[in-house]
Amino acid sequence: MSEVPMMDAAGREAEVTSKRDWVPINLDLRDTWFPVAYSADIGERAVRRIVHAQDVYLWRDGGRLYAAEFRPDRLEAMRAGASTFTNGSGFYPAVERYGYIWAWYGNPDNAHEELIPNIPFLPPDGQGIPRYTQRAVRFDAASPLSVENLIDLTHADFLHANAIGDSQSENDVVEVHSTSETVTRIRNVTRKSVAPVMRWIGGVRAQYQDLRAVLHVHLRNNVCISYPNFTPGYPIPNVQPFVPVGKHRSRVDQTNYTVHAPAPFRWLMPRISYVIQPQDNSVLRPQNARYFESTERRDLSSRFDGPGNRYRLLMVRLAERQQRGDFGYGADADPSADISAVLGMRG
Amino acid sequence: MGRWWAVALSEAVQGDKALAVTCEGEQLAVFRDGRGAVFALEDRCPHRRVPLSPGPVKPAGLQCPYHGWTFDGATGLCNDIPNLRRDERVPARYAARVFPASEANGFIHVWRGKGTPAAELPGASYRAAGREHTGSAVANIAFEQYLDVMLDGPECLLSFPSVHITDFFLGDARRDGGHLVLDRGAVWKGKGNGPAFVRDHSLWVRTRVPLTGGDIRVELLSADEDPLVTIFIAASENRRGTTSLVWRGFLHTAPAPLSWRWRMARAIGRAPFAIFPHIDGAAVAALEVAPSRDRRLAKTDASTPAERVVPVQERCAV
Repeated sequence: MSEVPMMDAAGREAEVTSKRDWVPINLDLRDTWFPVAYSADIGERAVRRIVHAQDVYLWRDGGRLYAAEFRPDRLEAMRAGASTFTNGSGFYPAVERYGYIWAWYGNPDNAHEELIPNIPFLPPDGQGIPRYTQRAVRFDAASPLSVENLIDLTHADFLHANAIGDSQSENDVVEVHSTSETVTRIRNVTRKSVAPVMRWIGGVRAQYQDLRAVLHVHLRNNVCISYPNFTPGYPIPNVQPFVPVGKHRSRVDQTNYTVHAPAPFRWLMPRISYVIQPQDNSVLRPQNARYFESTERRDLSSRFDGPGNRYRLLMVRLAERQQRGDFGYGADADPSADISAVLGMRG
Repeated sequence: MGRWWAVALSEAVQGDKALAVTCEGEQLAVFRDGRGAVFALEDRCPHRRVPLSPGPVKPAGLQCPYHGWTFDGATGLCNDIPNLRRDERVPARYAARVFPASEANGFIHVWRGKGTPAAELPGASYRAAGREHTGSAVANIAFEQYLDVMLDGPECLLSFPSVHITDFFLGDARRDGGHLVLDRGAVWKGKGNGPAFVRDHSLWVRTRVPLTGGDIRVELLSADEDPLVTIFIAASENRRGTTSLVWRGFLHTAPAPLSWRWRMARAIGRAPFAIFPHIDGAAVAALEVAPSRDRRLAKTDASTPAERVVPVQERCAV
């Protein structure tokens, strides 16, 4: 077996990136909305969530939603210590959309609702999203590394083969598109072995199926909007927002919007995260620790790493831009633009 | 500059017996005089290097068990050598090494190092407000590792009955003076789908670990941040890669509904926590180095320790 150095565009991109010392743990990108909780999870009792190691307490009072730096019972006493993230008020800008509470992380003066990412398959007012579609999972890695794991195509065929399927297919083509704020990965697979989960509880009896999987990643807030469409089968639209808890952990309040899939698949499929997530954590945990180490040994890449390497490069560019004090969105960036066509949604 | 170390429980030093302790690798003899004042001498007779701690406490001080030389606790001076003639005097330079000692909130402290002893004692931050559970041990883990593991995986070092301590850190370690404070999620055992899948953890464990020194505070908190259990652990370097531990802890009056197993165990008097003297080496070795990196960075860059653990509001983008 010969070694095949695959120094194509993806490889060169990786080399450029690695020269910039990719350290995913330090990317603290600002002026963005984070979906910090499911709307349905927040009532009158304060709940603590964390974004970039910063507390966000959420509660409702008199029907009104509050997102604050401090617990409600300590807010007045501690308000003097409020940060610039709330302009000293103690309260973050917060909006409810798509069944989530979105809290602004950055300069409150720049908090505009049109910067909330468009999720075309979810009702904007969040009404009617079944609870069975919502599963909160935790990843043992910083958000960017967790997002890389999601962008990464080939790991699923090995780490998650028992649930998602093996790497057998007739053709497997990957495209990647990007803006200054997003990365879109499109994978077209023909005659792929039907995923076990779809075969056993999804009613797909064929031996093979085609897959068109689109993953649209917003760089600043790690909101990943995914539209995998199986033929024969059905789409499994999902949202995976990787909220950065800190340098070592991230939290994902997933919405696997399976409402249009047949029963019992629609109820059971969202629970697949109970299987998938520990498998991912088994590699993410040691991986994250190793990205703290300063090393001259660059990560190697194959052509399948193109989307991930593009993600690395764009994240570094965005971080560098923010480091220079530029927190604005470029002309090519419009988070609220309708991405139905990008995702390839049917109908 | 020196520092105070909590080396013993107050109740462990009583009567006419001294207590042998080890702090920063040095063996000490701690004892009280007839009025209850505490003293600490090097556990080594300057005469023939015999440990002093097995000797009896006499009105004049601690007496060496080998030849009866007696040393004053406050000054370390030898004030009696048995069998000397009446006209013979103990030379003024004959003395055991003495360490300033002080007591607060159930802990005996010893000052080690240079400088004038500071006014504030580590144990002063501990205030029992409930029935106490105390103990001491020598743990089979090196001191610096003990502190690091207390951040990376305290479940390797202690437990709360019926509680599963997770390694989901709630944010990063944050600087509080000379300590790093880290919260992590915890759940009651036997409830729900497992700790990885709960929406919000029903409990938190907060560890407060020093950058230097050995005063550790661990708290079990409800989701509303009400304290359920507070533990103060005083750690210091023992010999051969081990760590001396003394601790006090107490159960708070619970404001929140607790699990029935927890309430039952407390009703029959079982301790609300356990400190492990025997550390599972495999479990410690399997821990990834995570929040303790911040502690090591702050320690190694002593000139600008606060800048290496950057406050949240001041972090830069890259």
